[in-house]
Amino acid sequence: MPNWKRLLRDGALTVAVMAAVFLLVLVLEHFFAAEKLIPMLFVLGVFIVSLHTRGYLWGVAASLIGVLLVNYAFMFPYYAIDLLTPVNMATAFVMLIVSVMTSTLTTQISIQQEEKAAAERERMRANLLRAISHDLRTPLTSIYGACSVMLDSRDTLPEEKQLTLLGDMRRDADWLIRMVENLLSVTRIDEKKLMVSKTPTVLEELIDTVLVKFYKHYPDQQVEVSIPDDFVSIPMDAMLIEQVLINILENAVVHARGMTRVSLVVTMQEGQARFCISDDGCGIPANRLNGLFTGYLDRDQEVSDGQRTGMGIGLFVCAAIIRAHGSEIHACNRPEGGAAFSFTLDMEETDEQ
Amino acid sequence: MSNNKYRILAVEDDRSVSSLLHAMLDAQHYETLMAETCAQGLMMLSSHVPDLVILDLGLPDRDGLEFIRAARQKNAVPILVLSARSTERDKVTALDLGANDYITKPFSTAELLARIRAALRYSRPGAEQSKLPESRFQLHDLAIEYESRTVTVASQPIHLTQTEFNILALLAQHAGKLLTYAAMNEAIWGAADPGGNKKLQVNMANLRRKLGIRPGDNRYIVNELGVGYRMQQGEDDKAE
Repeated sequence: MPNWKRLLRDGALTVAVMAAVFLLVLVLEHFFAAEKLIPMLFVLGVFIVSLHTRGYLWGVAASLIGVLLVNYAFMFPYYAIDLLTPVNMATAFVMLIVSVMTSTLTTQISIQQEEKAAAERERMRANLLRAISHDLRTPLTSIYGACSVMLDSRDTLPEEKQLTLLGDMRRDADWLIRMVENLLSVTRIDEKKLMVSKTPTVLEELIDTVLVKFYKHYPDQQVEVSIPDDFVSIPMDAMLIEQVLINILENAVVHARGMTRVSLVVTMQEGQARFCISDDGCGIPANRLNGLFTGYLDRDQEVSDGQRTGMGIGLFVCAAIIRAHGSEIHACNRPEGGAAFSFTLDMEETDEQ
Repeated sequence: MSNNKYRILAVEDDRSVSSLLHAMLDAQHYETLMAETCAQGLMMLSSHVPDLVILDLGLPDRDGLEFIRAARQKNAVPILVLSARSTERDKVTALDLGANDYITKPFSTAELLARIRAALRYSRPGAEQSKLPESRFQLHDLAIEYESRTVTVASQPIHLTQTEFNILALLAQHAGKLLTYAAMNEAIWGAADPGGNKKLQVNMANLRRKLGIRPGDNRYIVNELGVGYRMQQGEDDKAE
C-alpha cells in the first residue's frame, strides 16, 4: 500500500473511532449517569486506534483528541477547555501511556511477523536448494559414470552396451534440461513483489506452443483440447504459463498410471479464463492431496533416492507461477476417476507491456 | 544429401560447445571455421566470407549483439544465434538487429541442423538478386501462387482477405526465417502499429482457421510465443 494512502486510511480511522466513542458517550449519558464510564470508553477508543494504525502517530493523536473531548464536553467546567486541573492532566497522561504502549506492542508484533515471513522464505529457499541439488545428483552420477565407462573401456565394451549407455545419458541430460527450465521459471518471478510482467497472449497460440512441445516428448499421447472459438487474448507471462501447462501434462503422463485420455479445457467465465487439465488415470493418493504443491520441499530426504519421479518440483513451480499471477492452482480427484488440475487467470489487462 | 561444401563460421567461446559444433558440422560435410571472440569472428567474416554464421551472444570481448550490428553493415550473411539467453526480449532484440534465427541452449542437434539448412536455403545464391525468387510456394498440401494471389490446401481453394494473403505470402517468402511481430507489422502495414500486435494476431487467427490449422499442429506455421512467426520449410529439407 502506498504511503499516502495508508496515512489517509489511518487518519480516517482515527477520526471515525474517536467520533464514534464521542457519540456513544453522548447517547449513554441520556440513559444514565455515565460519568465513570466516560474515560474508560475513550481509553478503549485510543486502544482500538493504536491497534489498527501503523506507528505511534495516530495513537498519540487519538489520545490527545480523547483528552480534549473528555475535557471539553464531559468534565467540569462543561463545554470549555481546562487542561490544568490535576484530574484532567492525569487522564491525559494515562491515555497517552495506553496509546504509546499499545503502539509499541503492535509494532513489535508486525516486525515479528515480517521476520517470521522472511525466515519462512529463507527456509523455503534452503529447502528448494537442498531438494534440487539432491535431485540433480542422481542423473549427474549416471551421466558421469557412463562417460567414464565409455572412455575407459571403449574397446572392450560391446557396441550394444555402448548404445544403451549413450541412450541413458541422453535421457538423463534431457531430464536435467527440463529441471533447469523449471528453475529458470522460478527466477522470472519477482520475489519481492511476487509479480510477473504480463503481456496479452493469444490463447490459441499458447495452447499450440504447449502442444508442440509436449508432442515432441510424448508423440504417442494425444491431448484432447477444447478452447473457445473466439479470438481470446489473456494477459500473462506466456513462458511461465506454458511451463505450468507442460508440467501438469507431463505429470499426467508420468504419474497417472492407467491413464488413456488427458484433456486440456479452457473456458471463459466472469472475466476469467479457467484452465483445467484432467486425466482418467489412477488419481492422486489421498494422503498426498494435501500439500501436493509444497510436498517437493517438505518430503523426507531419503524418499526419492533412486526413483526418478523428481518432477515434484514441477508442481511446486506451477503453484509459485500461478500465485505470482494472482491466482491459485487446485488439484482434485474426479468422481469418475483420475486427477484434475485447474487454475484461473484474470482477463483484465492490468499491466500491458 | 549433396551440398557443395557450404562454409560455416561458428563464433563461440565455450570449448565444449565449439568442439560439439565442429564435430556436428564436420559430420554433415560443412566446411567449418571457428572463432572464439567477437573481434576474431568479424575478422574471419571479412576474410573468409562464410555462407552462414552461428553466433553465441555471451562472448568474452564484446556482446554478440555487437557482432550482428557490425556484420549487417557489411553484408546479409545469414546469422543464426545460439544462446543461453532465453527471454522473449533477448530473442526479439537479436532478430530485429538482423539475426535470421534464434536457438536457445541447450539445443538439439537435429533442430540446429534443420535451421542451418533452412537459413542456407533462404540465402541460396540467386534468391537475393530477384525480389520474387519463385512464383510459387509449396509446403505439404499448401500451395501459394504469388502472381495470381491464390492459395490452395489439398487443391481446394482458400479465400483469404488482402491482408491475410499478404501475411501468408510474407511468411512464405521468408520460409524458415523467424519474423518478429514488429518486422511483420512493418512489412504489412508499413509501420509499427501503435495498437500493439493485436491486429496481426487477429489476422493470424483467421488465417489459421481458414487453413484448418489446429493447436498443436505446426505443419505450416510455427508460433514463437512473444516473438513472432515462422513458416516451415519445404519437404526436401525435412529429411534428417
